[in-house]
Amino acid sequence: MKTYKFLGDLVERFVGQMRRAGFADPLRVVGFGAFIAATIVCIVALSALSGAAQTAAGQQANQSTSGNAENGRVVFEKQGCNKCHGAQGEGVGVPGQAGGVPRIASTALALPAFVQLVRSPKGQMPPFGNQKVSDAEVADVYAFLRALTPAGKPEAAAPESAKKGERLFNAYGCYECHGYQGQGSTQTGGSRLGPPRIPLSAFVSYVRAPTGQMPPYTAKAVSSEDLGEMYAFLQSIPQPAPAKSIPLLNQ
Amino acid sequence: MPKRKSAAINRRDFLRSAAAGTAALVTSPAAPSKQPLPNPRSGPPPMSPAAEVEAPSGAEVLTADRTGSDFMVDVIKSLGIEYICANPGSSFRGLHESVINYGGNKSPEFITCLHEESSVAMAHGYAKIAGKPLGVFAHGTVGLQHAAMAVYNAYCDRVPVYIIGGNIMDATKRIPPVEWAHSVQDAAAMLRDYTKWDDLPVSLTHFAESAVRAYKIAMTPPMMPVLLIVDAELQENPISSDAKMHIPSLNPALPPQGDSGSVAEAARLLVAAENPVLVFDRAARTPAGLALLIELAETLQAAVIDRAGRMNFPSRHPLNQTERGREELANADVILGLELNDFWGTIHSYRDQMERTSRPITRPDAKLIGISAATLFFKSNYQNFQRYPELDLDIAGDAEATLPSLIASVKSQLATSRKSALQNRGARLAGAHQKTLQANREAATYAWDASPISTARLCAEIWAQIKGEDWSLVSTSGFVSRWPEKLWTIDKHYHVIGYSGGYGIGYTAPAAVGAALANRAHGRLSVNIQCDGDLMYGPGVLWTAAHHRIPLLSIMHNNRAYHQEVMQVQIMADRHSRGVERAKIGTAIDDPGIDYSKLAQSMGLYAEGPIADPKELAPALERAIAVVKRGEPALLDVHTQPR
Repeated sequence: MKTYKFLGDLVERFVGQMRRAGFADPLRVVGFGAFIAATIVCIVALSALSGAAQTAAGQQANQSTSGNAENGRVVFEKQGCNKCHGAQGEGVGVPGQAGGVPRIASTALALPAFVQLVRSPKGQMPPFGNQKVSDAEVADVYAFLRALTPAGKPEAAAPESAKKGERLFNAYGCYECHGYQGQGSTQTGGSRLGPPRIPLSAFVSYVRAPTGQMPPYTAKAVSSEDLGEMYAFLQSIPQPAPAKSIPLLNQ
Repeated sequence: MPKRKSAAINRRDFLRSAAAGTAALVTSPAAPSKQPLPNPRSGPPPMSPAAEVEAPSGAEVLTADRTGSDFMVDVIKSLGIEYICANPGSSFRGLHESVINYGGNKSPEFITCLHEESSVAMAHGYAKIAGKPLGVFAHGTVGLQHAAMAVYNAYCDRVPVYIIGGNIMDATKRIPPVEWAHSVQDAAAMLRDYTKWDDLPVSLTHFAESAVRAYKIAMTPPMMPVLLIVDAELQENPISSDAKMHIPSLNPALPPQGDSGSVAEAARLLVAAENPVLVFDRAARTPAGLALLIELAETLQAAVIDRAGRMNFPSRHPLNQTERGREELANADVILGLELNDFWGTIHSYRDQMERTSRPITRPDAKLIGISAATLFFKSNYQNFQRYPELDLDIAGDAEATLPSLIASVKSQLATSRKSALQNRGARLAGAHQKTLQANREAATYAWDASPISTARLCAEIWAQIKGEDWSLVSTSGFVSRWPEKLWTIDKHYHVIGYSGGYGIGYTAPAAVGAALANRAHGRLSVNIQCDGDLMYGPGVLWTAAHHRIPLLSIMHNNRAYHQEVMQVQIMADRHSRGVERAKIGTAIDDPGIDYSKLAQSMGLYAEGPIADPKELAPALERAIAVVKRGEPALLDVHTQPR
């Protein structure tokens, strides 16, 4: 049953993506035969994924989640995990793609795998060794994350919100260090912001209490609502074309 | 050495002796004037009736065939000084006239400047290309006061500038009121804190010795500006025709080398290191220095961080790790700094928050070695010597002069058994370098089509137009986020020339013109990415470039504000939670925006702009470069993002 539900989701997602790509009627454009072929491939793939997911779920049932979730939240913030993953571990972007931060709320990993990931991460995440955080504390963080409600799909920024956010971005002078499109600058030290690589909660958290050269913007200086609008603007900035497609960057 | 006859005689003595025997030179007094007294309310005054009716005081001589300033020009010529940059001033009128007439206005040629700060900054830029100083003339008072900021930049940047200031020492010879206001007891005092040496010669022989000495001092590392104050009487007094004047020979002092034992110890540490890091700043004084730095890095297969005080290391060399320098520093077990201006700042991070904090970014056991001529020369008042670094081995000596012995010592101590380890290190660094280059390209794609134009796009467009030329970037790249270093192939010693040294704004425009003047002899295409705020300190230097046909492509980085200062005010406003909306008050250069193309056109330059659409850049650059290739300056006004 679960497989069929995934399949239904997949078909819906496929049609949705085609429509967003500009095709009014995907089934007519792609052709029924091609669609069926693609669907069969997806069924096979999802069956495998579903099986893997069920296996993982079975393993999880055997994992201890006896850590202290409340202490886990404290450790989560103390170690600055929220600064990349968000206050609720919501993550941002597409994991595996440049700039993405994985969603870790209600993590599907087993505790040993989670500990292993924390100790020896892949990608941009720095390692957290025993001297920084004990096994017990990692277990507490694990419990905290497992207790979180799975986040829904991130919503795209509303166009009007993005426009207002752009005005605010300029009015608050963010462009001084980060550029008018949030592209960042090594000279000013302003990070690349657009499109955002951290979730909104982490964005707000950093603006309030930055750890680098950036001055702190308190709620008195800029409201959380305005920060949300600016985040929407940054979200609306499309990913640029890859460098290899720009002749001037291949000289 | 035989005692020489005093060459110069004062004007009074000369006139007395000339009156006795040179009747032909005596002019007849004018006939008494019958003309009416002038109406004080209208028109310019006529010649003084008194002067025209009074009998002459004696056999007054009004001309001279040869003066002290002629001899001074002979001395200046002997030093090989090609140009004199100056805004005209009466206290050096004798020298001025001798340069253009007696000297034929050739080596040195008089370059007309519209501000003394431009004169000195032109000399600053020129020296970094030519490898030698040009001369600057200035009033000993108001001229040097104008020049002071540029002198400080050159001092901090360890660049030789040869300055001659005019003055009138004898109070009885000053014509009131201006010459009193323009005279001073100790003219050099105002620059003494940031010049290497100064003197006040009281005779022509004294001048000749001090002039040669000054040149030698300026050109001995650490190089810096020098100053001679030359009395107007000494310039203008005639010289007797049979005077035998001696010009001392110039024998340059050899640059100081580091102690051989210390150099061997430095080599031992570098050879034994697992992760040595080489940090270059003002290290390569000459093309030979660049070659030596490459040889040292390749011999050790060590990571290089270029702090860009000079052109030290090719941007595309696989050992160049500048963009990921912090990572290499964190893993380094030995760090060698060569003419590194700020060693402490290189190995620490610091925060500008309510409480200013810093922390080391290196391993506690990392060995720190410095080789610098700056160790040999200190002054107290100005604090450009930076925070005290706790070096394990501090070698006083010029880095470039010390490099041959250091390289030889490294090679002699490098055991064959280390060869494999070094190859592996080199391969690791080459891989990291390639990844960094690719990351730079990807970073440049953000805001690629934006308007105002991103600094990455600006630099990529410029590179497309100049990469096939023999080019020279004569401005600093810091204000455009160092995109030239990230996107261009920089591998010749004149490709980049560092920065101002003292961070005094107003350096770039005149230094670019000075560097272009030096590049002109080599037919190079000089390129200046010109900040708007910097240009407005002394835009008149554009006229100097046009007037003297100095080919220079200036591309305005017109971001319409002093953005560094906007950020500083933002920091304060945020600290006080008062909002940053007003941070542009006092920092923005808009309302009205400045039309730089019209500004340049008014001074005789080819100019276009403003350009805000990145698609318009390439054709505009092509047109401007065609003008520059004809031997003239051109300017493009480009509306850009802040950094």
